Amino acid sequence: MFAYYLQLGLRSLCRNPVLTGLMIIAIGFGVAASMATYAVFQAVSGNPIPGKSSQLFTPQIDNWGPNQGRSDGSLPDALTYTDVKALMSANVATRQAATYPVSLSLIPSDPRANAMVANGYATYADFFGMFNVPFLYGSAWPSSDDARHGNGVVISRKLNQRLFGGTDSVGKVLNLDGNDYRVAGVIDHWNPRPRFFDAANGSGFAGEPDFYMPFTRAIDLQIETSGNNNCSGGPVASGWSGWLQSECVWLAYWVELPDAAAVQRYRSFLTGYAANQQRAGRFGWAPRVALSDVQQWLDIQRVVPPETRVSLLVSLGFLVVCLVNTIGLLLAKFMRRAPEIGVRRALGASRSEIYRQFLLEAAAVGLAGGALGLLLTWFGVLGVGLVFERDIARLAHLSPALVALTILVAVIATVVAALYPTWRAACVQPAWQLKSN
Amino acid sequence: MMQIKPIFAALRRHKAGTVLISLQIALTLAIVCNALFIIQQRVTQLSQPSGLDEANVLRIQNQWVGKHSEAEYGPMVATDLALLRQIPGVVDAYSTNSLPLSQGGWSMGLSLKPEQRKSTAQTAIYFADDHALATLGLKLVAGRNFRADEIRPMPSKDTLRPSVVIVTRELADKLFPDGHAVGKPVYIVDRPSIIVGVVQRLQTPWPGVRWGNTSSTLIPLQLLTNGTNYVVRTRPGQLETVRRAAPAALLAANRMRVIPDDGGVMSFAQIRADTFASDRGMAILMAVICVVLLAITAAGIVGLTSFWVGQRRKQIGVRRALGARRSDILNYFLTENLLIGIGGVVLGVVMAYGLNLWMVTRFEMAHLAAQYVLAGVAVLLLLGQGAVLAPALRASKVPPVEATRSI
Amino acid sequence: MLKMTHLSKVYRTEVVETYALRDFNIDVKEGEFVAVTGPSGSGKTTFLTIAGLLETFSGGEYHLDGVEVSNLNDNARSKIRNEKIGFIFQAFNLIPDLNVFDNIEVPLRYRGMKSAERKQRIMESLERVGLASRAKHYPAELSGGQQQRVAIARALAGSPRLLLADEPTGNLDTQMARGVLELLEEIHRDGATIVMVTHDPDLAARAQRNVHIIDGQVVDLSEEPRFHAHAAETSHGHS
Repeated sequence: MFAYYLQLGLRSLCRNPVLTGLMIIAIGFGVAASMATYAVFQAVSGNPIPGKSSQLFTPQIDNWGPNQGRSDGSLPDALTYTDVKALMSANVATRQAATYPVSLSLIPSDPRANAMVANGYATYADFFGMFNVPFLYGSAWPSSDDARHGNGVVISRKLNQRLFGGTDSVGKVLNLDGNDYRVAGVIDHWNPRPRFFDAANGSGFAGEPDFYMPFTRAIDLQIETSGNNNCSGGPVASGWSGWLQSECVWLAYWVELPDAAAVQRYRSFLTGYAANQQRAGRFGWAPRVALSDVQQWLDIQRVVPPETRVSLLVSLGFLVVCLVNTIGLLLAKFMRRAPEIGVRRALGASRSEIYRQFLLEAAAVGLAGGALGLLLTWFGVLGVGLVFERDIARLAHLSPALVALTILVAVIATVVAALYPTWRAACVQPAWQLKSN
Repeated sequence: MMQIKPIFAALRRHKAGTVLISLQIALTLAIVCNALFIIQQRVTQLSQPSGLDEANVLRIQNQWVGKHSEAEYGPMVATDLALLRQIPGVVDAYSTNSLPLSQGGWSMGLSLKPEQRKSTAQTAIYFADDHALATLGLKLVAGRNFRADEIRPMPSKDTLRPSVVIVTRELADKLFPDGHAVGKPVYIVDRPSIIVGVVQRLQTPWPGVRWGNTSSTLIPLQLLTNGTNYVVRTRPGQLETVRRAAPAALLAANRMRVIPDDGGVMSFAQIRADTFASDRGMAILMAVICVVLLAITAAGIVGLTSFWVGQRRKQIGVRRALGARRSDILNYFLTENLLIGIGGVVLGVVMAYGLNLWMVTRFEMAHLAAQYVLAGVAVLLLLGQGAVLAPALRASKVPPVEATRSI
Repeated sequence: MLKMTHLSKVYRTEVVETYALRDFNIDVKEGEFVAVTGPSGSGKTTFLTIAGLLETFSGGEYHLDGVEVSNLNDNARSKIRNEKIGFIFQAFNLIPDLNVFDNIEVPLRYRGMKSAERKQRIMESLERVGLASRAKHYPAELSGGQQQRVAIARALAGSPRLLLADEPTGNLDTQMARGVLELLEEIHRDGATIVMVTHDPDLAARAQRNVHIIDGQVVDLSEEPRFHAHAAETSHGHS
């Protein structure tokens, strides 16, 4: 019977090519618009580190107070060097790492070649284990490098390709801004998006970092952050040591807390720390601290651009209009065949058979709409570069999952749209024909 | 308008179709109004002038390579600037931390008294020298430019303490509403800075910031860091020549630098395009959605009305047989559509404001202006009449003899 | 075969109640050819739609082939229509989107018949109505008489026990009408029970028995002796 209904459906669709075409186009456009924007939305709002995002936390400490702080009362979105040093040495969490972005020039060994800028992070050895960073060669620098301000460096697969031709470069030396570093490990592709650990610097969707170096050494070399620094009023002492002592916030800090008890412990530790600072006279206000996991942090930092949400919303509205349109057209199409339905009912078709026949016909329309939608989604995904920033647009692509979803959404949406028209069709009385004569 | 009552009676018999068309019109109106509004907002934002001589300004990003003490950066930058000013086609050049619309920079609060708790106005800080005004093409409306002897070096981690500043008119009016800003002191951190000049307009690096789109301050300091931006103004028509010549000349003079391949040399037009890429894209997306949505709604009206016409052929024939003119039949369908359309737009206006209100709370959007709703209403009613015209004309051509045919 | 006792059918609108049938009694034996006549609006067509299970009734009893049908649900009624009843409509009611072959196939499909058997039955019934060569034609390409023959072929393909015809010749000219009637008589001779609604006295005269309906009630004008019907039943039984 399935094949028979399908055959009937296709034949009926071919009978009114204009009406059928309108429906297919409406569904195709509706599905394509929502799928293309959904692809972008999914790309930007996904969990950057699934499986571990609920164990990773970043603290915030109010070091500015009610008068110097932000007008909306929110906490600073980074930490001072003073606080980071204190938190690192307290060593309360399972793993912990302070991080800041650095931008250094890479001086090639060939004197004729032009120098290039390499972007990376100054951090601690715990960073790699905490964030499950996969290594191609070698590993993180030993934690002793953190303590003795060593010159280990972890480089990306791309930089390794560029400098060492992709070979195992562990132990080799590279020169950044005139200082030599020894390669401790080479990372296989790793670029969590959004880049939660540096969200405060707005680099959520930037390309893969080139290198990672010990935080302690970067501070020794007075390497400035390439990210934001926020200083809220107040005199600042001159020079690098004045900068480190200042109340300027510029450092990200992440800790790994495996369970609720650990989270609770860390919270009370933070509050205690802020209370100590108050007692010591640094803070003239009651402790105000926060501890956010990855998803909470991404929300606070508004990493997902409002454009993606608004356009997803508009596209969904668009899909709804297309479906309302399809309901109308299907109703017209089905009711035009009321005489046929009456005859079929008289010849012994039960209501459920009418349901099956017409829903299958709708599914065929949905399938065709889905195929058109797929084509349009493909164009749409190519076109997202026009709408969204390049970093974000790059993320959206037509994956097999998206292809399946597009077809599925088209078919399901059309069948849902067909429920009412089909119900009306099934209500056609078998006696209808006799009566009207 | 003679037959509104019978039309209502007929519509009651086609409840589903009537409701569907109205709903579609309502949803389309809600989306189109808000989309038009978003388009307008984005276009307004991206068409605001920066205050610069935009057609002739070029930015070169320069990062020094190797170990240098901070003290060395000052002379190195001075050498580069002298070199740039020599290049044929260059009007002037200076070195700064940031440019309008570049989305990265420095902002501070300005106060009128040294120990004021909350600052009087927020401002963007642009490091500048005596060549800045000429390079950017800014118009001085009061006071004077910086003098060469006022320019000082500033180590990167030092406190911001300029002796004099130039502010924009917007900022000057905010600080001194009486209109006499020149000669008055303002406090960035702890020392007074005297306002020596006021420029007409200079946008901040962040378009759309709430504290003032053109609240900017120029300070006569040269930041000593390993990276800087050279801003070059060219003679009209020479931009492309200078764009190629300038980085080549800089590299020839000193190889120990990096001018990034990607975005290292950008015209101001490119900076503007980059900054507003998402706004422009959003406007395009909304426009495309509007057009397709209207087309689909029109198609839906055509489809459903055609069905009704087909269904009522006999009825139409009877009317014609009873003496209805073609224009009566045409008017019947046009009026019917108008009634459905009015029902749809009434619902649509409510939905448009509802959607906007929701977006205001969720996405910090502005409130929908009434003219967009009115424009949307007009567009949809006209669209409906246009869409119904073809099937209505077909209906008016149904011959009276149709009345005598069975089915 | 078809027995209605004290059957009534009321049409209710907001304002009025109209009795289409009132205390309606009829008994059609297996193998009979009954013509139902009556003036316009007397309830002929209502009787036929109820007889064909196209519509439900308001009161009384209706036994079809020994089964009381008033309590059957929609699916069961559909099954009976499909297997036991064949319809011939005044307006033919062929599905314009389907060709002759596919039109005849419709009831067989709903019966879940295998493809080979369907084909055989379709061709048999087409041959019977003399249109085997037109299997691939669409209804619009056929004359009125040919369309009605296709409709009859469709009704016959399922080998129904009961054939219901509503003014089968109403839309046809005299010559075509005669052809269709001869076909019905032939089908009757082969053993089917036929109930035909008509207002044409000539047509009614060719049936074994006439039932006259006035104002929703049966008025038996027929003086025909009953043995005709019994004879038909008996002969059917022997064949």
